[in-house]
Amino acid sequence: MPVAMMQPAAREDVQLVEEALSGNALSFQLLVERYQERIFALARRYTKSAVEVEDIAQDTFLKAYRRLETFQRQSSFSTWLYRIAVNTALDFLKRMGRSPVRAVEDPELTAEPSRGQAGSGVHVDAPEARLQREEIARVTHAVLEELPEIFRTVLVLRELEQLSYQEMAEVLGISIGTVESRLFRARARFKDALLRLHPEFAGGD
Amino acid sequence: MKITCDDARVLVPGYLDGELSEAQASPLRAHLLDCQACRESAKAGRALQRWFEPLREQPSEVAVPAGFAARVARRALAGDPGLLVPEEPASPFARRSQLSFLLVACSVAAAALFLLALAIQRQSLPATNGLEAQGRPPWLQTSEERPADFGAPVAEPRPARSERR
Repeated sequence: MPVAMMQPAAREDVQLVEEALSGNALSFQLLVERYQERIFALARRYTKSAVEVEDIAQDTFLKAYRRLETFQRQSSFSTWLYRIAVNTALDFLKRMGRSPVRAVEDPELTAEPSRGQAGSGVHVDAPEARLQREEIARVTHAVLEELPEIFRTVLVLRELEQLSYQEMAEVLGISIGTVESRLFRARARFKDALLRLHPEFAGGD
Repeated sequence: MKITCDDARVLVPGYLDGELSEAQASPLRAHLLDCQACRESAKAGRALQRWFEPLREQPSEVAVPAGFAARVARRALAGDPGLLVPEEPASPFARRSQLSFLLVACSVAAAALFLLALAIQRQSLPATNGLEAQGRPPWLQTSEERPADFGAPVAEPRPARSERR
């Protein structure tokens, strides 16, 4: 995409990247300021500790700076940064021994999905009628923590960060088809885990 | 254009995620109006999504510390690699180097073991090569090899019978 056709924010991102690459600390600082809230929020999806969130965010930006030359000008800086942040968070969990089941250990992760058949046939109720919003957030967070990391990550990116399928594909380095099938399985697993932990939310067939 | 329930099952997640074009969404909406089973399925998908809304809207408990951006920018430009994560995932070149090192180390270890085994074997063998013992025992030697005094009377002759008597 020609620079002239980019959205103003994206054009500014590219410009700030160019300036940072030529050694302008203030330009990189502006990039950090622009994205720090989102990266902190994303890191918080993986750990509750404020210190750890800051460590993940800091490492994300330091890593981004070291790789700045590899940033493709035609792509979105935020998506590129998200990709680094997700990998940094997952590396962090692995290092801390808190990484949930990985793909190789989970046969379901490698199988082809069959639409409409994943998970139990039981639906879950929408939550609001029974719980306070803080309680729902707490339950959802706990269920997410039960999931294998690749399922947790697609749900975080889609449901919490509200990335599009295309953005998710870029962040995760996978095809849109894989995003769809992984998301489909992730939702089925989320539902199953929610019902296992809270069978009272079963809504029937 | 009419779609089937199978088509609808495939399209519903994208519909709920706002990923369908109008050309895809329109026949799906028509199908959902007609088909109660698919409508229930879409409703269940929507109900599941609603579990994430409070978490999404929850204000962040972790505030960005004051001066974070300036500090990070300063560290980045100073070449700070960060605290948590290894520099990069091992590059193919690095992996190749590690493999080469392992190969060389194994070869050296194997050669050392071979030499050690050879040395032990040599120590346990007689001084000469081959299966022959060192020289033949006198009783196997030919007359040419035999020393001149071989077969001479033994040093301690038995006492004469006459003496015993």
